[in-house]
Amino acid sequence: MNVIETTKLTKYYGKSRGIIDVDMTVAEGEIYGFIGPNGAGKSTTIRTLLGLIHPTSGSATIFGKDVTASGPEIRQEVGYLPSEVFYYDDMRVIDLLRYSASFYRKDRTAIEARIKSLAELFDLDLKKKIDDLSYGNKKKVGIIQGLAHEPKLIILDEPTGGLDPLIQQQFFHLLKEENAKGATILFSSHILSEVQKLCDRVAIIKDGSIIKVEQIKTLLENSTKRFKLELVETPVASAFAVDGVSDLAITNHSVSFLYRGRVNEITKMLAEQDLVDFLVEEPDLEEIFMHYYKKEDEQ
Amino acid sequence: MNVFLRELSAYRKSTIIWCASLSAILIVFMALYPAFTSDVAATKQVLGQFPEALRTALNISLSDFFTIYGFYGYLLNFAILAGAIQAMNLGTGIISKEVAGKTADFLLSKPMTRGRVVSAKLAAAFTIIVITNVVFCGVSYLAALMVATETFAIGTLLLLASTMFLVQLVFLALGALFAVLIPKIKSVIAVSMPAVFTLYIVGTLGDVLGNDKVRYMSPFKFYDTAYIIKNVGLEGKFIALEAAIIIVAIAASYVIYIKKDVRASA
Repeated sequence: MNVIETTKLTKYYGKSRGIIDVDMTVAEGEIYGFIGPNGAGKSTTIRTLLGLIHPTSGSATIFGKDVTASGPEIRQEVGYLPSEVFYYDDMRVIDLLRYSASFYRKDRTAIEARIKSLAELFDLDLKKKIDDLSYGNKKKVGIIQGLAHEPKLIILDEPTGGLDPLIQQQFFHLLKEENAKGATILFSSHILSEVQKLCDRVAIIKDGSIIKVEQIKTLLENSTKRFKLELVETPVASAFAVDGVSDLAITNHSVSFLYRGRVNEITKMLAEQDLVDFLVEEPDLEEIFMHYYKKEDEQ
Repeated sequence: MNVFLRELSAYRKSTIIWCASLSAILIVFMALYPAFTSDVAATKQVLGQFPEALRTALNISLSDFFTIYGFYGYLLNFAILAGAIQAMNLGTGIISKEVAGKTADFLLSKPMTRGRVVSAKLAAAFTIIVITNVVFCGVSYLAALMVATETFAIGTLLLLASTMFLVQLVFLALGALFAVLIPKIKSVIAVSMPAVFTLYIVGTLGDVLGNDKVRYMSPFKFYDTAYIIKNVGLEGKFIALEAAIIIVAIAASYVIYIKKDVRASA
């Protein structure tokens, strides 16, 4: 069964583009990544699913129900964490979480117990005023607020900003636990490695349209890395004529290129070089779009 | 019910302050009543020397001013001006706060229709206005009781006091409408003050110019104290006008709030 299904979902803000003809299906129990640069339409898609904005055309269903017609009913089973969290400054953390819980038709004592255990997990002081919290701690309130009612669908819009690595790890662990218990997760991000850690499938969105949906496994096999080398001698371009190398740039003693393919192949070549230093990094999304999807664009 | 209670508690402090301030206006003004009435003839003569236009602008009517109704009705003008600010702040603030405070993401992603969110907020605002007016009527009666030199009809006094409630309702509805019409409200006061004072000045200018039609344009002039004192009743056509304004403003607020896109706060 599909938890989320969108058909030609389109949103224009006046004349400016939000998303165009987005077709997306997220199966039950899946962790679905949603990746693209800022302004590509990730938030627009997510906000349409939540009923925060209304589609210009096309439709979307969650749990088989139309998001516009059955919004409140759907949202009983949805937990949402936005990229930036804002709450009522005059409230204490526990008051806000109880207020949040009061919207759901679920057992209060169960939610209350879960709030307590999650707060303990994230080391969050429930008695503090929202106004006195650091950004990271506000984010924790957001996580608890989104997960306390044990939703069947968890929607996360760039959730990791402001979380330190340790908390992020705990958060991802928690998400995997929820997923193991049966929750479906939609996770948007502009950081590829984050999505790789967590997701089963990933949709890549650019300029308002989904340009590719891929299993993470496939994406990893085809993963593109940027190599930056520092050599003793001035390098010869022909030495880098290995399959999968692109965007080769040689300046003085340094070389930079993108490599897509099996890592073993490239390390063999590197072993023959007289290296001073070398760096392998994730290409940013723009680079992936430019090189990994060149072929699709040309078609 | 949760949103309703949340709003009541969020406005508890401000409601207490407004009630206290309005009571203070009443008590201070009413305490002056004995001074004005100790020598009616002399005071009348002084006021009579004021140019008539000034008297009209200040809403002083020589025939009513020295009765408890007239004096109370006079100070009521100022209390209502303050009350209008409270009501407009409330209407604008309660509806716009989610967008202004960026908490719309939180509230509107909860399993509740937007219509019910508006209803809960308006119900809370209405309750606050009712509470304010119960206090206001009570204090009015007590203050009048203390300073009155002769017996007075409680009905007339409370009818005068009730115009505060009626004017506040108009501004509450206008506030809600402004809240959905203006895209990003950074400061509620910056919206409510100009609106309230513009309508107040329009009403006063109408009085000075002797133009009766202006009464229809300013809620401050819907309910004329002299008419209430004379007839112990309100003018039906203005109640109808008020009802129409409120219905249109509130209906439009619902429609716009429900249809509005809540865009990312970043």
